[in-house]
Amino acid sequence: MSIFEYNGSAIIGMAGKECVAIGSDLRFGVQFQTLATDYQKIYRIHDKLYLGLAGLGTDAQTLAARFKFKHNMYKLREERDIRPSTFGQLVSSTLYEKRFGPYFCSPVVAGLDKDNVPYLCGMDTIGAIETAKDFMVAGTAPDSLYGMCESMFRPDLEPEELFEVLSQCLLAGTDRDALSGWGAIVHVITKDKTNSRTLKGRMD
Amino acid sequence: MVGLGLDLSVLENPSKSAATDAQLDGLSVGVDLGMQSFPLPQVHDLDSFEREVMEYVKPSHGTTTLGFIFQGGVIMAVDSRASMGSYISSQTVKKVIEINPFLLGTMAGGAADCQFWLRNLGTQCRLYELNTGKRITVRAASKLLANTMYSYKGMGLSMGTMVAGWDATGPGLYYVDSDGQRTKGQVFSVGSGSLYAYGVLDQGYKWDLDVETAVELGRRAIYHATFRDAVSGGTVSVYHVTEKGWTKISGTDVGELHYEYYDNPEKHPCNGTQPI
Amino acid sequence: MAGFNFDLCKRNSFLESKGVKAPGYTKTGTTIAGVIFKDGVVLGADTRSTAGSTVADKNCEKIHFIAPNIYCCGAGTAADTENVTGMVASQLDLHRYATGRESRVVTAMTLLKSHLFRYQGHVSAALVLGGVDFRGPHLFTVYPHGSTDSLPYCTMGSGSLAAMAVFESGYKDNMSRDEAVSLVDRAIQAGIWNDLGSGSNVDICIITKGKVDYLRNYKYFMDKTYVRKFPVCYPPGTTTVVREKMVALKDVDVIEGEASEAMVID
Repeated sequence: MSIFEYNGSAIIGMAGKECVAIGSDLRFGVQFQTLATDYQKIYRIHDKLYLGLAGLGTDAQTLAARFKFKHNMYKLREERDIRPSTFGQLVSSTLYEKRFGPYFCSPVVAGLDKDNVPYLCGMDTIGAIETAKDFMVAGTAPDSLYGMCESMFRPDLEPEELFEVLSQCLLAGTDRDALSGWGAIVHVITKDKTNSRTLKGRMD
Repeated sequence: MVGLGLDLSVLENPSKSAATDAQLDGLSVGVDLGMQSFPLPQVHDLDSFEREVMEYVKPSHGTTTLGFIFQGGVIMAVDSRASMGSYISSQTVKKVIEINPFLLGTMAGGAADCQFWLRNLGTQCRLYELNTGKRITVRAASKLLANTMYSYKGMGLSMGTMVAGWDATGPGLYYVDSDGQRTKGQVFSVGSGSLYAYGVLDQGYKWDLDVETAVELGRRAIYHATFRDAVSGGTVSVYHVTEKGWTKISGTDVGELHYEYYDNPEKHPCNGTQPI
Repeated sequence: MAGFNFDLCKRNSFLESKGVKAPGYTKTGTTIAGVIFKDGVVLGADTRSTAGSTVADKNCEKIHFIAPNIYCCGAGTAADTENVTGMVASQLDLHRYATGRESRVVTAMTLLKSHLFRYQGHVSAALVLGGVDFRGPHLFTVYPHGSTDSLPYCTMGSGSLAAMAVFESGYKDNMSRDEAVSLVDRAIQAGIWNDLGSGSNVDICIITKGKVDYLRNYKYFMDKTYVRKFPVCYPPGTTTVVREKMVALKDVDVIEGEASEAMVID
């Protein structure tokens, strides 16, 4: 068993036209036993920046707390919110610090940068950044999610359709994975608002 | 004999079952049941070879199946998911195997093993009918299967099945597995989700259940197992066996069933906090 | 660089002893190459990064900046090549601030090899380092364990054999710029087409005295070969939403500010 399969997760980030969306499933389980269906895997860093953490639950929560702390320190020093690309580098260096004893988490960073240009990146567990213009996936069934996104994604989607495309990719992608699913949550970030929605999904 | 309280049938005078066994002994001399001709791989160490091979081909390991006897006959309920590790390879597996109009088998463990040996059991039962002119009892049928399993013991077969049906003695329900174990019982659940199903089943089971309630109990037990167990899911199929044979009562998609039971998803006990 | 943190090693090795597998890392699975020509150095790389058998990034950058006159191709674990080149780049940057002189390629090479040697090959970066300094063009290969080679032409990564075959048959001393670029291009393409770990596009970087031409996607091969004539469109409302929460953002004054270029020294 891979350590990623201990708790189970699925995360997709997707870029649209002056908007970006990030979604995750809601299952928290221990191997094949489902314990909760309201588990948060996406963390809000600030209004225009969200961080998804797939992988081992304990490490995800530890990292989320560390990034919240780091962002608070950054704000005190700089008196502004961190830029998504800067935050991506921060996540990367935090993970690479533990190169020889890594956190078992692969993050997806989604946010709106200057002039509301979407910023999207993902990493492996030791912080090798992979910036994407289209979509980014992470979790226990990346192949399923990649497959859905590769065929459904179109560039320059408006927020509402971006939501639909991401949601369908997430729901269909998790349907073939035993360890993720049980409902989903999707955040769409646009220049003047964020929209968070929970989705109806298969509960088996 | 069947009723509330302990099932002490194992303590009964064994003469009855001995008679049945004697009948069967005579039978196996009379006809070749095709069991002995199953070829084994020509390798030096069969045991470790089979164990290794089983690691490669092990589909359908996640399953929830159940069966119980009650006042109105036997209820059998199963899910329909097949998985290989965490990958869901099918959501539409037929896990109740219809051996003949009066006998049902359920599938847990290796899908191929279950399908093959329950089909094999079907032919053995038909041959028995042709030989004796009588329908085989559930007791005898399950023993045929258990004997087959025992003869291949330790060679890597993986199977946990329930054989249920109706014969001259009334409803019958046996648990048979690939270790060669065979147990008579009133309530069984087999598979990775069986503990969850037992939880619901034991809480709701009574001998006097009417058919409708019993069907609903079976369906609900499987549903709850599919919810908690990651490798059970798909559709819930429920079968009912009476003296007239078996009938399929229902096949319900769990995707819809969940929202039938919990029309407001936020009211579900697993939704304690709002993730938004 | 503050150095690595080993806090989780004990836990992770405990988990491993329990039979829990750690996830694999993103690798470059690469063809990288470099040649020296008459006026300088040409570096080349493919643009595929892989996670197991999945192509993780179809168009990543493997030619890393080291100094204005030095670049470095990286193969191996993506995080390692990214960070080891970044670390050396920042050290050289500080060195230039302190000395006011152009960085030398050997300095970069020595910094790389001493870091890699210290970690005994566990930092798995296989590099092709090239640049032009006041001594002229230089080309080095740096192996994960910290050994180095100085050669007129070299290749690295899983596609190194394919690329080297092209070099061995096509290399000449004192090539012109165009000849060198075409040779490196063919070497990288040999990797792209014949090595499964390498793929997508060709990046080229030409370093001459006082000038760098970074030709990102010098050859672009991997456009989608199909276009959906009727893309699947989901009209709004397709997905059933259970709960929705909208947060309108207040007008936020964004105070833009880049980190100051000049260093403040008290």
